Amino acid sequence: MKHRFRLLETGPGRAFHNMGLDEAILGSVAARLSPPTLRLYGWNPEAISLGYFQGIRDEVDVEACARAGVDLVRRITGGGAVFHAAEVTYSIVIPEGHPLAPGSILESYRLICAGIVEGMKRLGVEPEFAPINDINCRGRKLSGNAQTRKLGCLLQHGTILLEVDVDRMFSLLKVPKEKSAGRLISEAKARVTSLSEILGRKIGYDECSTALAGGFAEALGIEFESDTPSAGEEAEAERLAQSKFSQPAWVFRR
Amino acid sequence: MKVEACGKPQGAKLIRVSAEIEVRDDTPVVMSISFRGDFFALPEEGFEEAEASLRSVPLAGLAETFDRAMRLRGVRLLGISGRDVEEILGKAFHET
Repeated sequence: MKHRFRLLETGPGRAFHNMGLDEAILGSVAARLSPPTLRLYGWNPEAISLGYFQGIRDEVDVEACARAGVDLVRRITGGGAVFHAAEVTYSIVIPEGHPLAPGSILESYRLICAGIVEGMKRLGVEPEFAPINDINCRGRKLSGNAQTRKLGCLLQHGTILLEVDVDRMFSLLKVPKEKSAGRLISEAKARVTSLSEILGRKIGYDECSTALAGGFAEALGIEFESDTPSAGEEAEAERLAQSKFSQPAWVFRR
Repeated sequence: MKVEACGKPQGAKLIRVSAEIEVRDDTPVVMSISFRGDFFALPEEGFEEAEASLRSVPLAGLAETFDRAMRLRGVRLLGISGRDVEEILGKAFHET
């Protein structure tokens, strides 16, 4: 028997609204106003999202981001800093106790990431899940993922890189004083990859998001019903964007 | 004395530690401590409560106290542990 999920394809959005909508969907699924939901989206303008526990000044050149017009947002999930540009981002919200939300956090990462692995196989990629929360291809990172559990629900979101501009990324991130920027960039280029690099061709958002939705459906036994966020979710997303995610008290909390 | 530490122990995520340490009767005592990094902790609020409770803790017992504080609040940790934190901070303290 298939699990029935809602599929939202909301396209590119501003960082504060993206995080607001993820949290708004968490709230509406928790209140049983919405079914379990997979959302696929992008970022415009480019943005850096920080993990909940990261120190912003440890990780990001705040002034460089402002000069470059790159938004800075702090996630409600842990993990590392992510530069959001050419990628497909997903978020999945599932009530705890649902068969697709195992109690074990490690197992839930494995299960949900199986959807991404299957999706990437549809594009001709051979990725592998790398515990705790990464998906690699030939030993290089293609996807990072982060999970939280609140209000009796699991929210996991993550990215699949269509392209990666490591030089630009490190013009915005802090370079540890123990390392030179040049060495850091060359190490990062060796550690991180993208779909375009693996496939040797340009791959666009639509092609990747279609494969990703298919991967989740296949690997997790999901039947999707396409929809749009409810008016309540959109209003809550905007409220959270204005009152929380764009506020210095939140962004600079650590 | 203020001690800043950073490390990525085997099996852990990147962890940064800021601590105020006093030496009392030759024993380093962590008067206050805060953590930053790439780790995960659920629930996040429980981690922050546990973090705030870590005051006047002997450095030598930090691992056990950290783990107990987290356990008491039902916090599940990924990429950080008491052993990681004591290892990182201890190394930085002894190098100052």
